[in-house]
Amino acid sequence: MTAGPAIAVEGLTKYYGPVIGIEDLSFDVGRGEVYGFLGANGAGKTTTIRLLLDLLRPSRGRAAVLGVDCHRQSLAARRLIGYLPGDLPIYPDLSAREYLTYLSGLDDRPVPRDYLEHLLRRFDVSALDQRRRLREQSHGMKQKIGIIQALMMRPAVAILDEPTAGLDPMMAQAFRETIADLKAAGDTTVFLSSHVLAEVESTCDRIGVVRGGRLVTSGTIEDIKRNTTRRVTITFADGAPPLVTDVRGPLGPLFARIDGRPIHDVVVEPFRLEDYVARFYGEGTP
Amino acid sequence: MRALLVRSLAQARYAILGSFFLLAGFQLIIIGQAAEIQRTQSFGRVAELLPAFLQRGLGSRAMLMATFKGTVAFGYFHPVVCLMVCVLAMYVATEPAHEIESGLVDLELARSVPRHRLLTRSLLLSALTVVGAAVFMAAGTWMGTRAFDAPMSEMPSAATRAKLLINLSATAACFLSFALLVAVLSNRWVTAFTTTALAAIVLYLVDFVAIGWPPMRAVSWISPFHYYPALSVVAGESGLGGNVAILAGASGACIAAAYWRFSRRDL
Repeated sequence: MTAGPAIAVEGLTKYYGPVIGIEDLSFDVGRGEVYGFLGANGAGKTTTIRLLLDLLRPSRGRAAVLGVDCHRQSLAARRLIGYLPGDLPIYPDLSAREYLTYLSGLDDRPVPRDYLEHLLRRFDVSALDQRRRLREQSHGMKQKIGIIQALMMRPAVAILDEPTAGLDPMMAQAFRETIADLKAAGDTTVFLSSHVLAEVESTCDRIGVVRGGRLVTSGTIEDIKRNTTRRVTITFADGAPPLVTDVRGPLGPLFARIDGRPIHDVVVEPFRLEDYVARFYGEGTP
Repeated sequence: MRALLVRSLAQARYAILGSFFLLAGFQLIIIGQAAEIQRTQSFGRVAELLPAFLQRGLGSRAMLMATFKGTVAFGYFHPVVCLMVCVLAMYVATEPAHEIESGLVDLELARSVPRHRLLTRSLLLSALTVVGAAVFMAAGTWMGTRAFDAPMSEMPSAATRAKLLINLSATAACFLSFALLVAVLSNRWVTAFTTTALAAIVLYLVDFVAIGWPPMRAVSWISPFHYYPALSVVAGESGLGGNVAILAGASGACIAAAYWRFSRRDL
């Protein structure tokens, strides 16, 4: 392992025959960072994730996890990763506990028992739930088991595809707390693909948006907030028509423009990542 | 590897055990039937019932079917037995296609599991299934001889029975290797399994029809069953080495192609 980024993707390209999966995709994810990987359906998110896991073979370009090439040193790279697929496959005849035991027995990574128990408690998976067969479990419970199996060995890089799909608000909160803990500990990098943008906004340090297999924008949530226009509505006490304007950056210059007129109220529309990202989801130029 | 093997075995346990007991039961029934024909001294009438095309195609070996020895040995090359052993092995060997279709391969290979391990697991388990089937068939024969008080002097010798089982196992190994190759080329288990199961039935028929219809002999060499000349083995006219070597060679080629393809394909 080198001291480089946790995930480095350089010119990564995958064609499915004549169809572009992703093309010349390049980005880095820093160590300990929580990175939101966004895009509309079919944009190339899952293709990217499957290339990182060496389930797909790249047409060109390379990807590395903690300096380990995802294709050439596939085994070593996968030893660093915990993965939650978007659609969790199960063995219906296994109980939750047997499923976790089976998956932990597949490779040589130890599963810290106390951490596993902590995750089971946090996601409210009771002893009874652990004994029930997966075919009898709700979608939300299966999703919780999926999150636990991805994180139970405390991977250096967690790749989570739609982690909160099907979770109730309490469990979505438990997920956010888990990510916050990992971020605080600083030893796990999280690569998160999600359509729940409020969750991305609250958990991610940085985002990247893919469209048509290409990265169309990326940046930290803070930078995006700073550089995104906000709609400000100022109503005046003297009965003058309200001022409605879009402001980028601090509000000081706007107030300077008002020049001492009596303000009755100021309404600033809160930043919504959804509004920002939606521009990149369509086919047209953002 | 152990975790993968145990999981696959657990998944297929009902099909495997059910088939094992059916195969053993089949031997019991066929020995019971042979003992009854022997007791009523009806093998002469059985000879009269043999189809003419079999007598033409098999020559004097056809008459073995009308003996106690031949009837007992028939339990090891009856179409139902041959196809059951081969299809069972193919059922187990096509598991990689099921893993690809269900997405389980994503979870397994997201961990530090080498790709080839999935194939090695399926190969080992299907080979063990074939060996298990042979053991249960031998056990069925052993139980049948005791249950029906069969005349040991007229039984096919232990060496002949062992040769038949080895030859049948080699034939099944050829089919399971083919199934493994088709599984790694497929994205759907049903496609892989039905393709290979139907291929086994067609290839059996090709070899069977070739007995009575000489034009079919031009292509019957492509059927693995062609290299399981059971009646010749029972008659002591055919060695084991050459046929098993051909079947092993074909199996090896399919296995090598399966490993090569699986290491390169997108999952």
